[in-house]
Amino acid sequence: MAANRIACMGLNALIYAPKQALRNCWGAVAQARSYYVDWRMLRDVKRRQMAFEYADERLRINALRKNTILPKELQEIADKEIAALPRDSCPVRIRNRCVLTSRPRGVKRRWRLSRIVFRHLADHNQMSGILRARW
Amino acid sequence: MHRLLSRTVSAARTRSLCVYECCVLPAKIDNVSRPFTGVGANTICTCTVRRCEKKDDAIPSNQGEATNLDTETKTTQLQEESLEANDGGSTQQQRNVKAEQVLSKPSQVKTDGAKSGKKSLLDLLGAMKVEVTSKRKLKNLKMKQSFESAVQYKSKSAAMESTISMFQKANVQASAQSEVLDPDLVAAASAAASTLLNRSRAESELLKQLRQRKALTEAQKKGDINNLGVLIADMKVGKTPGRQNAWPADQIRFDDDGQGYTRDRGITSELANVRKRRNIFPTKRLNIFSPTTDEQRGDSALAKPTLWDLDFANELSLTTNQMPRNGFEEMIQWTKEGKLWHYPINNEIGLEDEASVPFNEHIFLEKHLEEGFPRQGPVRHFMELVVAGLSRNPYLTVQQKKEHISWFRDYFHQREAVLNEADVYLN
Repeated sequence: MAANRIACMGLNALIYAPKQALRNCWGAVAQARSYYVDWRMLRDVKRRQMAFEYADERLRINALRKNTILPKELQEIADKEIAALPRDSCPVRIRNRCVLTSRPRGVKRRWRLSRIVFRHLADHNQMSGILRARW
Repeated sequence: MHRLLSRTVSAARTRSLCVYECCVLPAKIDNVSRPFTGVGANTICTCTVRRCEKKDDAIPSNQGEATNLDTETKTTQLQEESLEANDGGSTQQQRNVKAEQVLSKPSQVKTDGAKSGKKSLLDLLGAMKVEVTSKRKLKNLKMKQSFESAVQYKSKSAAMESTISMFQKANVQASAQSEVLDPDLVAAASAAASTLLNRSRAESELLKQLRQRKALTEAQKKGDINNLGVLIADMKVGKTPGRQNAWPADQIRFDDDGQGYTRDRGITSELANVRKRRNIFPTKRLNIFSPTTDEQRGDSALAKPTLWDLDFANELSLTTNQMPRNGFEEMIQWTKEGKLWHYPINNEIGLEDEASVPFNEHIFLEKHLEEGFPRQGPVRHFMELVVAGLSRNPYLTVQQKKEHISWFRDYFHQREAVLNEADVYLN
């Protein structure tokens, strides 16, 4: 039953929710996305959620580990404890992917978009305040 | 005890096929003013009234209180009227004959019959309303009735038997063939046949059917099924009505030009076909399957949500969600969901309650270190550093800071043994 639930969750994550075609003021059809782009993006989402859950615990245990005051035996035990936590709970595994294309590289942090999508939108005047550079 | 006339109003569509017979219930008359009362106070009068549909209103309703003579005359009148209304002289003659016979019988019955508050065979037969759609159907009905009546009134008084014996004398010719049969059955058959049109023929057929059935039951009792072929060979083949114009349903008909066409049908034809079969649901249950209980179904449904449940929930959410008509509504929806920041940007969004908390609770956290922690040693040193860091953190609430400190307290208490080995003592 637990496996069924997890499967359902996975299904729910990628569940298709068809929506009406959104039209902006010019009548052009905007992109209506109801899926995550791919499974890698879904896994990234799961890692982010888990990292958020275990954030406090990891912080505290790391505070115990990374000091010179407490005895080393305690620090060794803390090392083992943090290693026992689930692997997806560490924030290091999070990759800032492009939000629209799930591209892992070439992503500008401010806009969360890959360079290609950014350039596409900027050329079509969808990014407010972005101009082509000329000097 | 008076019994009223009962009428059946016919709703027949075709007069030729449907003949509705209405029978007058016999009226018991206490005081009889007749010259030939020799037997007893109570007398019986049976009369059958036959009429067409158009005669329903003409005939008077209540004859219960009339005397025998009056009833007789009235019945003769009625019958004459009905006869006049009917078509065909031959039928009239037949009916006259039958009427006379019918009337003669009751008179004979009056002479002999001594009833003490119980119905006679004839009364029961006469009282029953018969709907005739086809001869065969009538025969079957009459068979049933005669059987029932015969079974019921098998054990009767001597007076009953006398009437039956009288009937037997009257129908010597018919009963000669059926000596094997029960005299009660014979009497019932003859009485039933008397209500029909073609009396003699109907009676002979009835008796023949009775004989067949008796032979069949005897064969079944003996367990000898081999003779079934003999029995079946004697039986008539039944024919369903309406077999004259029996085209197949999908018969292709041809126009003059040679192109064939089938009748264009929709769903209605299927429904009509379904309705053509007389009864889809038989009257009697076969009891092959036991009715299932719904308890088992209910538990399993609640246990785990199936894919169908998920699909339904999804569809429900889609139907209830009103799509945003424009970008503004979309942004509003996202803001409500939490995907979009609130504008103008508020850094302390979600932390409105914290504004009421005074600053000293954020900064002076050493009071939480008074209990559960030692006053000296590396643990205390560590916790003071923790408190110093928390006091400088503007992004956490007081509750979160307290939770941090309490977590450390629990952690150190759990690992007290390890700390004691390292000569760090928690007092």
